Amino acid sequence: MAACAPATPPAPAEEKPAEEVPAEKEKVTISWWNQFSTPICQEMFPRIVGDFEELYPWVTVDFEISGGPPGGGNYIEVLLSRIAAGNPPDTATLWTPPVQFAARGSLMAIDEMMKDAKWARPESFYEKPLRSCQWRGETYGLPSSAGPGCIFTNTAQFEEKGVSPNRDDFPKTWEDTKELSAKFVVWEDGELTHAGLVPWEASWLYPVWSGLNGGQLFDAENERYVLDSDANVEWLSYWVQWLDDQYGGDIEQFNLYGPWGGVYPESAFQLGLCSMAQSGSWACTDAEIPFAWEVVRFPVGPNGTKSVTGFWPNWWVIPKGASHPKEAFLFIEYLCTKGWETWYTAVMDTPAWKDFSPDILTQKLVDQVGLERAKEIHQFFAAYLEDAVDMWNSPIEDFASDTLNSAIDEVLHKTKTPTEALQEAQDLCQAKLEEVLQSI
Amino acid sequence: MVKSLLRRGGQRADARPRWRLSKRARDSLKAYLFVSPWIISLLVFTAYPMIASFYFAMTEYTILNPPRWVGLQNFKVMFTKDPLYWKSVWNTVYYTLFSVPLGLIVALLLALLLNQRSHGIGLYRTAYYLPGLMPAVASTLLWMVLLDPRLGLVNAALRAVGLPPLGWLRSATWSKPALILMSIWSGSGGTMLIFLAGLKEIPESLQEAAKIDGANAWQRFRHVVLPLLTPTIFFNLVMGIINSFQVFTTAFVAGAQTGGAGPLNSLLMYMLLLYRYGFRYFNMGHASAMALVMFIALVLITLALIRSSSYWVYYEAGGRR
Repeated sequence: MAACAPATPPAPAEEKPAEEVPAEKEKVTISWWNQFSTPICQEMFPRIVGDFEELYPWVTVDFEISGGPPGGGNYIEVLLSRIAAGNPPDTATLWTPPVQFAARGSLMAIDEMMKDAKWARPESFYEKPLRSCQWRGETYGLPSSAGPGCIFTNTAQFEEKGVSPNRDDFPKTWEDTKELSAKFVVWEDGELTHAGLVPWEASWLYPVWSGLNGGQLFDAENERYVLDSDANVEWLSYWVQWLDDQYGGDIEQFNLYGPWGGVYPESAFQLGLCSMAQSGSWACTDAEIPFAWEVVRFPVGPNGTKSVTGFWPNWWVIPKGASHPKEAFLFIEYLCTKGWETWYTAVMDTPAWKDFSPDILTQKLVDQVGLERAKEIHQFFAAYLEDAVDMWNSPIEDFASDTLNSAIDEVLHKTKTPTEALQEAQDLCQAKLEEVLQSI
Repeated sequence: MVKSLLRRGGQRADARPRWRLSKRARDSLKAYLFVSPWIISLLVFTAYPMIASFYFAMTEYTILNPPRWVGLQNFKVMFTKDPLYWKSVWNTVYYTLFSVPLGLIVALLLALLLNQRSHGIGLYRTAYYLPGLMPAVASTLLWMVLLDPRLGLVNAALRAVGLPPLGWLRSATWSKPALILMSIWSGSGGTMLIFLAGLKEIPESLQEAAKIDGANAWQRFRHVVLPLLTPTIFFNLVMGIINSFQVFTTAFVAGAQTGGAGPLNSLLMYMLLLYRYGFRYFNMGHASAMALVMFIALVLITLALIRSSSYWVYYEAGGRR
């Protein structure tokens, strides 16, 4: 019975005495823009905002959960226009790395406000997710979530093959993982009917695979790209070999065999066509995987030293020109710390805030796997986040991401060697970076 | 004294003469007043953005900061340092070279078929026009399901007749043909209606005279209908080329499935690259430069077509232009 007991919900805001409106404070209304739209967002965010307004009764938040900016239109286009016009929202949630905005002077630095913050002090966040909001030593936003990446495994298929499904028994190196993957590969009449692991399926995890082999994509400290390093060439060469050895060598033909990629419904993983797949912590509840699964760490490459992970945050920022920056900071602080505790009870989106209560678990996960297992999975992700690589921290993040994706696509299509593709990508990204840095 | 102050008609002698506009001038003024809303909107929403874009093309402009003059730097980078620029040009030219002629042929065939007086013909015309009314995103998503390599109906049909299934949007070779197929499906309806209107304009008497002279159906089409349809063909050709150069939504939605622009950037159309520069890479100056180049290219192509029309476009009233 105790194992089935529901997770302790976070202390509701009304138990905490609302801050008295200081005499000098007038009531303000702040605007919050976001791109959330799903039913769970429509249920949870009004609740979280309500808790915030109870805590800070002089602040009212004007927002909508409609998937875009008020009045419609493309979110980034409208946000850019409003920032340029000097009448931005007080705060916005970004799904695009904030460093790109910060480097171009469109976001407010919040370091001073963080110094005296109740919850959102710099040391309260996991290092790498917070670094994804920093540019040249200043912080331009807060990460609320930092869903770490991992490999999901189909435990039943592991057991069928006589392989231990336990996390600690999962291979620790690329070579051992490739060997394990081969056990699950099945060809029937010249067609691939079952795969093991498809390492190139998740483009957002490319920085992780580089880091697993001791490499890096962007050196933020020295403000330069390092795409064409030997470690990265080795990484891509390994993938080409994997494609040749296990999947027929023709990436387009391979792509015809199944919907490889992710763990969501209609993916090869959920259809039982693939025993291992990559995703983030949120997929534990969001993907509604209908069979028993395990989450494991990424294996280490020949040139790597430890298993690392990546993360994919929601970022909360205050655009320059915001009318009420202090209240806006209170809002983003709350959403990224105490407010996210409420969100986490519904969606397993690992918080970027380290002072998160360890007793708060995602109810759906508890219902699915039981209390003890849910706690264990929560701790797995929280611990793994300490080993995250630097990501999302370039002022040309989207350009570099598109360029690297093209390069890897060319390598897998065998129209270029890893050396050629990465050299070209390096030249393009470095030139673009220098162009942008000169103009800043 | 009072008398001297008066003019004929009781007008005061010391009154300023009234400026009286001529009737023609008053009529012109009224006309301009009536069209002024359109002129204002043209100036504010079309001309001004165009001129501003031409200016931004010579600047480094992130939207977030004021533009900085860089002269022709954006063009230099575009033409000499961006490999994806020429890829997008090739993709767009390929798409135009196939989608426009095929679209015209399909639309003309449909118009000929639907240019009948038969029961329920209105329903058929409506049915063929309906795909054009579907929002581009919805129709692209629909086609992505139809063209799914494993489960899609198109490949199922190919397998049923013994042909090998194709990769479609997951293949660098077949992704553009997939886009062309989508454009023909959605675009033919509108073009068909214009052809239908053109066919209705062709006098029946000419066709009957040809028939009396012994011309068969193909000869009547070749020597009577087609020449008289050339103005409509010309219009559809020009509009088709302009629209095909600006293909964006289908490429954007279909390409997203494979990480952005299709396998090997095969779906990276010109407008998609322009959009990326403007709204993903914060480089509105470069995007404006691309827009300027496209504008010049389209003007030159349109002018070339207009010049060429004197050789192949026939007007009923006075032969060729």
